[in-house]
Order: sequence, then structure tokens, then C-alpha cells
Amino acid sequence: MKHFFKDLTSSKAGLFGAVLLVIIVALALLAPMLHLPDPTRGDLRARLAGPTWDGLFSPGAHPLGTDEVGRDILSRLIFGSRMTLMVACTAVVLGGIVGTILGILAGYKGGFVDKLLMRLVDIQLAIPLMLLALLIVAALGPSIQNVVLVLALTSWIRYARIIRAQVLSLREREFVQSAHAIGASTLRIMFLHILPNVMTPALVVGTLELARIIIMDAALSFLGLGVQPPTPSWGRMLADGRVYLSSAWWAVTFPGLAIVLTVLSVNLFGDWLRDYFDPKTRSAK
Amino acid sequence: MTRLTKLLAGSAIASMLTLPAFAMDVTIAQTSAVNTLDPHGSASVGLDLSVLSHVYPTLILRQPDYKLVPSLAESWEAVDDLTWKFTLVPGAKFANGEPLDSETVAWNIERVTNPDKPMRISSWFRQIESVNVISPTEFEIKTSSPYPALPAQLSMFMLLPPKWASEHDPVTETMSGFKYKMVENVPGDHITLEPNPDFWGTPAQFDHVTFRVIPETASRIAALMAGEVDLINKVPASEIGRIKESPKADAGAVDSTRSVFIKLNTEKAPLDNKKFRQALNYAVDKTLIAEALFDGLATVSKCQVMTPDYFGYNPDLKPYPYDPEMAKKLLEESGVDLSQTFEFELPASTYLQGEEVTQAVAQMFGDVGVKTEIQTMEFGAYLDKYRKAHDLGRMSLLGQAWATIDADGLLTLFKPGNQYSYWNDAAFDEQLVAGGSTTDEAARKAAYKKATEIMCDEAPVVFLYAQPATYGVSKNVSYKARGDDWMRAYDMTPAQ
Repeated sequence: MKHFFKDLTSSKAGLFGAVLLVIIVALALLAPMLHLPDPTRGDLRARLAGPTWDGLFSPGAHPLGTDEVGRDILSRLIFGSRMTLMVACTAVVLGGIVGTILGILAGYKGGFVDKLLMRLVDIQLAIPLMLLALLIVAALGPSIQNVVLVLALTSWIRYARIIRAQVLSLREREFVQSAHAIGASTLRIMFLHILPNVMTPALVVGTLELARIIIMDAALSFLGLGVQPPTPSWGRMLADGRVYLSSAWWAVTFPGLAIVLTVLSVNLFGDWLRDYFDPKTRSAK
Repeated sequence: MTRLTKLLAGSAIASMLTLPAFAMDVTIAQTSAVNTLDPHGSASVGLDLSVLSHVYPTLILRQPDYKLVPSLAESWEAVDDLTWKFTLVPGAKFANGEPLDSETVAWNIERVTNPDKPMRISSWFRQIESVNVISPTEFEIKTSSPYPALPAQLSMFMLLPPKWASEHDPVTETMSGFKYKMVENVPGDHITLEPNPDFWGTPAQFDHVTFRVIPETASRIAALMAGEVDLINKVPASEIGRIKESPKADAGAVDSTRSVFIKLNTEKAPLDNKKFRQALNYAVDKTLIAEALFDGLATVSKCQVMTPDYFGYNPDLKPYPYDPEMAKKLLEESGVDLSQTFEFELPASTYLQGEEVTQAVAQMFGDVGVKTEIQTMEFGAYLDKYRKAHDLGRMSLLGQAWATIDADGLLTLFKPGNQYSYWNDAAFDEQLVAGGSTTDEAARKAAYKKATEIMCDEAPVVFLYAQPATYGVSKNVSYKARGDDWMRAYDMTPAQ
């Protein structure tokens, strides 16, 4: 653990990403305690009001301006981050669990199971993910559960491929061979001996997947297939504000920035995490 | 004087000198591509019919002020409740020499009323029984029931040359019988028209009329401000001021004939409760929506779905005032269980700023204790629920207009038994039947006055506002704005 933080502080990009991520997550978690204006209630009279710093802590202040129905953009951004992070994390974990299990299965069992699963992965890779997501959400109807489901579905293949490759080499290692020799069951070997050894790559894939899924979630919301208004979501804010791009820049700029910063922080942190766990790059330092 | 202003002044003088000698070109931007060139195969006024109305003649034309004026028909009159008589301009011809006479009109009406081969617009003429040709310039149309809106409907009915149509495919080709002829058609991109030299009426004013397809709102505005196009529509209210500041263009809005309201499905509980429906009407601040969301360009509906331009409009009705206390009181009296959440369906990007209106209304409902859940859906999916499945949510945002601008039509959408109605009121039905059974204007007005009073009181919808018809126009032309979707070069004249 001590080494972990030491290495993190020595990497500028990694540290920047980690700090930013901590701030974003903290804001999302603490949102209800920040005394922000209600993100779902607007004042039509204060519609598309520009950012103002006067009387910052008074109830009528909108430090990032208001949107097209007069709702506070700062409040919508922070409450929107809860939705985005919740959807993205759930999808990543769900996709991770399914992908890891199937990856271990394919790698350890080999043969027919391996062929079947990897062809499934190939088929899904051949279908544009965005198109697939659009079709499914359009068919099932837009709701948070469906969006999570779709995002998880687009995500499991990446885990499955990488985990399978890991398992292929782990399978030949002595500790697996000896477990097999003393008569351990296949399930026991897969989950007690192999699983702990693929957790690290799964974690790395997870962080990189998180960034991709945040963008995809924003894209689905942008197309109106994500969370329904008035619940705030970043993609939706972009879509609704783009009509007013020339007259009210703040309505799209801040949600856009929020997406960029979040994805950037996750990516930087994820990159560092990959390097940290990769023995080759670590020994090279 | 800088070189630039010298140049500008010079070119201004040059253009002033050259204006009388040369006519000019105009370009009209449309939101999507033309679907068909067959004028009987489309009911899309703002799109297909607008382009074709330059090429094919109609008996009657509707002016920007909605007045019906003679075109091919010199005059028309109701002989009795079931007979309309028309007199045509003598000697009118298509560009290929085919005559535009009574026989041609009869053939065209036959084409759209043939029950074996229904056309897209056949339903407009279901009441037509027969056409009685008296002479090449005189004929009568017999209807099965009184059809007072027939002249208005005929203003959307274009005439094809019969002989040409039997040898060519009207879906892909045109033969001019009006001011312009089609010289170029690049599907999905543009259509170019030139004056028809053989036209039988007042000649065309422009050398070229081009219809260009520009789907994105922001691109249409940019093209107008750059001087690439001369007329655009569907401009967001808040962009009007920005266009007005530009040196090349002007913008504005007029009341359209389309009313936007919250459709309540009175066939589902508790929307069958009149007090509950009235409470919803009291709960919405219509004035605030019109002022704040539309910069005052929208007009609050006067407790009816018709706008003042409709025949049968009732000027004596007053909107439900914004009164949350009254709404709460009525909600309590209605006894409706307010712990439930009402589905509020929203057809996506269909109505001008519809997403904003829906969220504003949902918030106002919430303020008096009515919980809603907005469900966005594609317009096609919404129409399927509305029309085919007859399974509309309990609340939804809807805008409706009727091209004949007559109560007999728009109010029919609320008639018991009509698939669009979702409201069954016998007293209202009685008045609609009365209004549709005569061509006597006073009697019809009296019936629609009663009908609108019943509809206001029963409140099968939450009345909101008349959607503004927004437009932008270049300073090269002067344009008479209209609220009924037609986009026509002959509503424009070169600026003086």
C-alpha cells in the first residue's frame, strides 16, 4: 500500500487523474449535503441566465448559469454525476463479473467451450456497439435498468478476451498443475487458484472500460435514450442545450467539460494503474 | 470613406440601376427532402405540396391572410347544401397543350376518389358523390352530406394533365400547368424551377426558384445569414433576435394555425374525472410559458384548440386562469388518489421547444401535487400508440391543426367515435353533427360556439398556446409570413 501511493505521487499524470477522480466522486457522494438548488426544478423567468458570481452563496445565484427551463446548471452537473457514475460503475462491475467468469471458463476449459465463447465475442465485435445499444434501448424502452444492461452487454467481451489470454498461460503454471494433480475440482481451480491471479488485469480493464462507458452513457442520453427528464444527466444536458449554442454557451460548455474531465481523470488513473501492475514497465523504471 | 465602403456603395448603386432590368433568383430552404412529385400522393403541405404548388394549378388559392382567392376557378358558389358550382378561367392550358377544363378537373377528382386505387389524399374527398360537367368552363360537385370546407380543401388539390399522366409517372416527373416548371431535381439536395412561358395567368416574378434541403436548424440559420438562402422556417424563438441583427436577413413569427395542448386520455381513470381535468387546467401558468419560453411569440389559447383564423373560432371564451389554490381545491373535491404517478408522453423533437414546455408543465403539475413521469419517444412510435394501438398515455404533449382552417375538421378530431378522440361527449357530438349538416354560416357558427363552450368546460385537454410560425427571410425579398406551413415563392416579391 505504501509503495502504491509512492508510485502514484511519482507519476504526475496518474496523480492528477486520481485527485480529480477523488474530487468528482466526493462531490457526487456529498451532493445532498451541499445545499444546492433542486436540480429538477427551474424558474422559467430565469431561463438561460448566464453564469454569475455575485452573491455566490445566496439562494438565487447560478455560478454556472441556468438551462433552457431555468434550472441551476451547477446543481444539475453534480446531481447528474451521481447518475452517470452509478450507471457506469454498475455496468462496469456487471460486465466485469460476466466477462471474467466467461474468460476463465474459455481459457481453462478450452476446446468447444472456448471456441463457442470466442466466436460469440467475434460476432459481437463485428456489430457496431452504438448501433447495438440503440437497437436494444429502443426496443426495451428507455430506463436506467435497460441502459445499465446494454452498457454491460457491450463491455463483457473486453474482459473475456484479456482474461482468457491470461488464463491460457496460467493454466500451464506449476501451482495450477499441482492443484490438478492432487485432484482439485475444475471449479475449485478456476475460482480459488486462477481467479485471484486475473483480478489485476480485470481491474485495469475495468478502469479503462469505465471511461468508455461514461462516454457511451452520455451518447445514449444525448439521443434521448438514457434517463428521462427532468432527472439530470450530462448527455441530455448537452442535447437540450445545443440549440442555444450561439446564444447561451454555458448550457453546453459545462456539461461537455464535466464529461471531458471525468473521462480524462479515469483514463489517466487507469493508465497509471496498468503500468503499476505491469511487471515489465515497473522494473524498467 | 474606406475602400470597402466605397466598394459597397458602388455595388449598391449598381444593383439599384440593374434591378428593374433583371428579375432575380430566390432560394427556399426546406427541412427535409421531397418524398414524391405526385400532388395526390402527399398531404405534406410544408414540403411536397409547397414545391408542387409552383408547378401544378389549383382551382382556388389560399393567400397568406388565409383568404381564398380564384386561381383556375374564376368563381364558385354553393347552389344548395349538397352542390357546389365552379366556373373556370377560359383557355387555360398545360405546357404540353392539354386543356385545363372541366373534364380535366373531373378526371383528377375521379383519380383521387376511385375506391379501387386510394391515394394519400383520398380521405379529403370522401364526401364527394359525383362531378357534373356542364360546359368546358363550368361544372358542379355533388356531395353526400354538406361539405362547407370543400373550397378550402380544394386549395390543396392540384391538377394533373390526364393524357400526360397516362403516359408518364407523376411520382418522378412533372408537367407544368402553373407559374413555374421544374428544370432540375437532385433528390435529397435541391429542386430548381424556372418560369413556365406558356402560363395562362399572371407570370412568375423570379428567374429561378430553388428549394434546398437543409435539415439542421443551426445550418439553416447560418445559410440565411450568409445570404445563401432567402427563406427559412422553424427558427427557435430565441434565435430571432440574432437573425434580426444580421445585415442580410430579417426574422419574425406569426401565429400558426397549430394549437399545442396536453392531450388527456379520458378513457383511462382518473382522467374521466371532470374536476381533475379542470384542476390540471388551473394548475398551468400558460402566460408564463408563452412569455418566458417563446419570448411572447406564442399566444395563449382561449380555452379552445382553434386559433382565431379558424372558421368557428369562439372569441368569447377565456383561458382558465393560473390559480394553483383553485387547482388544489378541485383536486381535493375530485377525490383522485394523488399518490400515483402519471405517465406524460412526449414525442421527441416534434413541436417547437416541446421538450421545454413538457418539463415546465410537469413542474407546474408537481407544484399542485400531481406527480408525472415524462416518457420521451420517437414521433413515429407516438403516432402508432395514438392512432394504431389506441393506447395513448394518460397525458401527452400534442399539437394539432387542420389545413382547411375550419372547425369541421379540427374539432372532428375530438368527436366521439373518431379514433383520435379519446373523449366521448354526447352533447359535443350533437353540436358537431349540427355544424356539419348545413352550409349556412350563421347556423354553423352557432353550433361551433356551443361545441367550444362544452369542450372548454369539460376540458378533455389542458389548453396551452398557439405555436408560433417562425421564419427568417433575406432582405432581398419582401415576404408575407403565413402560419399554415405553405412555403411559396409567390408569397414573396423582390425588395424595392
